[in-house]
Amino acid sequence: MDMSDKKPAPAPAPESRFTVSPMTLAADRWMGRLIRIGGVGVVLAVFGMLAFLIYQVFPLFTGAKVAPVGALSVPAAAVAFGEDEYGDFPFVVQSDGKVIFQRAKDGSKLLEWSPTLGDRRVTAVRSYPRSGLVFFGLSDGSVQEIRIAYRSTFDAAGKRAVEPSVTALEPIAIGKPGLPCVDVWNAKGAQSRLLLVRQESAGKPLLTAVRLTERKGLGGKAKVTVSAPFVVAAEVNSVEQVLLPSTAESLIIVGKSGEVRTYADDGTAFTFLQSFVPFKDSKDTAVASSGLIFGNVSVVFVSRAGEQQVWSMYPQLQPDGKSLRRWGKIHDGEVLAGAGEGVYAAEGNKCYIAVAGGKLQLRNMTTGTLRWEGDAPAGTIRQVAFAGNYDRFTALSADGKLHRWSIVDHHPESSWDAFFGKIWYEGASGPDYTWQSSAGSDEFEAKYSLIPLLYGTAKGTIFALLFALPIALTAAIYVSQFLRPEYRNVVKPVMEIMASLPSVVLGFLAGLWLAPLVDPRLISLFCAVGILAPAALFAGFLWSVLPQPVRRQVKPGMEFLWLLPFLALCAYFAWQAGPAVEAAFFTVKDTASGLPIADFREWWRQTTGETYDSRNSLVVGFVMGFAVIPIVFTIAEDSLSNVPNSLISGSLALGASRWQTVWSVVVPTAISGIVSGVMIGFGRAIGETMIVVMATGNTAVMEANPFSGMRTLSANIAVELPEAAAGHTHYRALFLGACCLFLLTFVINTLAEILRQRLRERYKVV
Amino acid sequence: MPEIMNPPSSSRIKVRPATEREGRKDYISIRDYGFWYGQKKALDAISLDIPERQVVAFIGPSGCGKSTLLRNLNRMNDLVDDVRHEGDITISGRSIYDAGLEVISLRRRVGMVFQKSNPFPKSVFENVVYALRVVGVRDRAVLEEACETSLRKAALWDEVKDRLDDSALGLSGGQMQRLCIARAIANRPEILLMDEPCSALDPIATGKIEELIHELKDQFTIVIVTHSMQQAARVSDRTAFFYLGKQIEYDTTEKIFMNPSQAQTEAYISGRFG
Ligand SMILES: Nc1ncnc2c1ncn2[C@@H]1O[C@H](COP(=O)(O)OP(=O)(O)OP(=O)(O)O)[C@@H](O)[C@H]1O
Ligand SMILES: [Mg+2]
Repeated sequence: MDMSDKKPAPAPAPESRFTVSPMTLAADRWMGRLIRIGGVGVVLAVFGMLAFLIYQVFPLFTGAKVAPVGALSVPAAAVAFGEDEYGDFPFVVQSDGKVIFQRAKDGSKLLEWSPTLGDRRVTAVRSYPRSGLVFFGLSDGSVQEIRIAYRSTFDAAGKRAVEPSVTALEPIAIGKPGLPCVDVWNAKGAQSRLLLVRQESAGKPLLTAVRLTERKGLGGKAKVTVSAPFVVAAEVNSVEQVLLPSTAESLIIVGKSGEVRTYADDGTAFTFLQSFVPFKDSKDTAVASSGLIFGNVSVVFVSRAGEQQVWSMYPQLQPDGKSLRRWGKIHDGEVLAGAGEGVYAAEGNKCYIAVAGGKLQLRNMTTGTLRWEGDAPAGTIRQVAFAGNYDRFTALSADGKLHRWSIVDHHPESSWDAFFGKIWYEGASGPDYTWQSSAGSDEFEAKYSLIPLLYGTAKGTIFALLFALPIALTAAIYVSQFLRPEYRNVVKPVMEIMASLPSVVLGFLAGLWLAPLVDPRLISLFCAVGILAPAALFAGFLWSVLPQPVRRQVKPGMEFLWLLPFLALCAYFAWQAGPAVEAAFFTVKDTASGLPIADFREWWRQTTGETYDSRNSLVVGFVMGFAVIPIVFTIAEDSLSNVPNSLISGSLALGASRWQTVWSVVVPTAISGIVSGVMIGFGRAIGETMIVVMATGNTAVMEANPFSGMRTLSANIAVELPEAAAGHTHYRALFLGACCLFLLTFVINTLAEILRQRLRERYKVV
Repeated sequence: MPEIMNPPSSSRIKVRPATEREGRKDYISIRDYGFWYGQKKALDAISLDIPERQVVAFIGPSGCGKSTLLRNLNRMNDLVDDVRHEGDITISGRSIYDAGLEVISLRRRVGMVFQKSNPFPKSVFENVVYALRVVGVRDRAVLEEACETSLRKAALWDEVKDRLDDSALGLSGGQMQRLCIARAIANRPEILLMDEPCSALDPIATGKIEELIHELKDQFTIVIVTHSMQQAARVSDRTAFFYLGKQIEYDTTEKIFMNPSQAQTEAYISGRFG
């Protein structure tokens, strides 16, 4: 337009024409706020989730809280003690057999009881605080059992009053008559009870035992038969400590020089099993103190220098090739502050109190962690006992004090190592990563290693991606670059529908339809899948040697109409050829019949020694791949289609082939979108739950074997959370798994995002 | 260049006399060529011969089919769905639709610069040597050499020689267009198709490109689409005028601008319609 043209000035418009309506402004402002609230809300929600997970997990990593509750003055002659269930009315036993009950609250005396023994004296006292059993070893070698009972009565006002009672049983002659008992032990085996006394005979220790078998008589009255006394471990010359497991299955004798001899009860007598010297490599081989840990298969030994060792019974390969349960060292504990003065095990878990060097340490045997440490009270500790529910412990010191501590330790078995390290559990033949959260027996120790689950997660993800990525990405390239738009418009929505298929349906198909279908025809499947790539290449070759006029008959982008039937045919023949291939390469001798059979599963088991499960990682990878393909495909296809046509024309006009164009222009330009797609697929595979739950055996094994199952973090949560008690270690361990999953996806996504931004920066299109 | 601002008029346009060269007169020969986008006929009965190593300009109002014809010369229109053609185009006597002729080799022979510059999201260097990489040249020295000569020819070397490894997308619009020209000539085609190569350029860059066309003419046969009458007059030896998919007039540039035989041509170049 020529600027010098003179035109009449337009009539001045009213001001209002330029003012923005307040509605527009208000909408603008409010939408802005709303969007900000939404954005901040999302960030807060994510961090809130993380905070909640950490809040759930945190208690696992706090040690035990132990606080002294008070000390009760008791007679200085007290050598043993016991308690009622709540610890309100403890009793002490003096060396002369006198039993004194006191109120824990104010120390007032409740009851005093003295044995009536005639001319016999009490020479040894042993109290089992949690069962209310006290045993007196008497001066003539016999043993008297004392039963302590508490009777609760409620007065009219509903106040609880407790009335202790003491019942003394008839003494049983066990030891060599006339010799005083030095020590006495009691244990309850499956069939009978064992009473063991120790005497000194001509400067040699003498261990004698009887079995008490209780049989319910006709009248309902129990009749106890006492076996003839028998000598145990007659060959030992020195006895420092005797450990009698509460099940009476075995016997452990610690000698003066630190030699430990173990015996096993074969039903009639205790036979020698094994002897070892725990501290044989130390200067001082003596065992200063020792104690059996709950479960009766592990013993903690402490040397005079404070070294700790844990020995346990576990299956060991013998020279003759048999595997037998024998004692072996499973842990070297931390060195304590001084010589061991006592090891006292808790009930119900693997914790123990070690007294050494003026310190009390609460330790966990399995993980070796120190849960709490405190100063030991003055005076030698004579006995320590835990409450049955591990909420307090009591110690009797030689200066006539009964010290009481409360414990708050909800997760004694947890530690960083327990979740992420190799742990040697009782009964196992070596340290390992194990997840096993529950079992039938009470003595079972739950194992919460997350490593097998992380491994399973990685395995499942890798299998799924190995299967899904090549298919999804090549499909995306093909559909976006080579397929005619009419077909593309059909394929894309179909894929999107596939993406919205609930994974539980896929899992169901995988577990109940695919796995059994594929199982017997695995080789056929391999052949059919394996033939596809060479067949496609061959088809491409055939195509390239076809003369132009023939090729021109097919519109570009329609080649697949030729390819598909060809591939289907190839796959069909390969599938049919499967059994022949199996017979040719995978024939093995059947273990049952001894006849040769063509069975890949059997072949796999025999040649690799690995397991073969019909619900295996391959099936999971395959089906999980199906869950991942649509997402990866959709996102990658979108970004590939969004590559400007001008770039493609530019490349083609320079004489590049279509494939060269795709490879060197289209893919690099779309790479950030492709990476996003892959990452989202990765995220989906990592978090995928239902398919894994349904299509694998869910065993937490750590094997690279493609024909075994696995358990992933997410499947683990899905399977076990419903049965985990809130607040329990198991429950929190599951949350720790969730935390790992969260962090894993967070880290991977962040890395992917950084990578994506970089790529986008590099290949951005104007 | 004040003339550019003014409406074109035959009286003011300076026409360069056509250079006569030896070589085929019908190097590119378009015979009764028609072309359809689906049901729409975009080209109708086009017949013209383009002599070897000359510059031919296609002019005409927007939508008349210039780009369509140009894109047919290297079969870029094959990429469009549902197209059809009649008649034939031959280059050096051989039909571009010859069954034995690979479309890729056709495109290597017939280079193209697009209306809208389209550098790849790669470095300047990689853009220029793209065509060489495609044919499998790996030798770094050869690539560098080709890069420099092409960039020099495209009058871009001095501006980008220090930033060969930077992304091509950081260049200005005019630089990008020249980069696309460099990219096309690095391939050493015989024919160069240029679709409004200067539409986004300032007068100085336009001048450079026009100079470039002059130089390239010694080696290449150039077909250029332009909306600028002056440009057509300045750079071309022959000019074709199209209107609504039909070829109205095709002659030496001098004849078209000085003494057009068709009234429509006269009207168009004098700016009375279009
Ligand atoms: N890909 C296509 N599909 C359908 N019709 C098309 C396509 N490309 C061009 N056309 C039509 O063909 C006709 C010629 O278009 P062409 O691009 O050749 O015009 P032009 O002369 O280059 O115009 P301009 O000067 O604006 O670039 C126009 O009517 C246009 O709408
Ligand atoms: Mg055009």
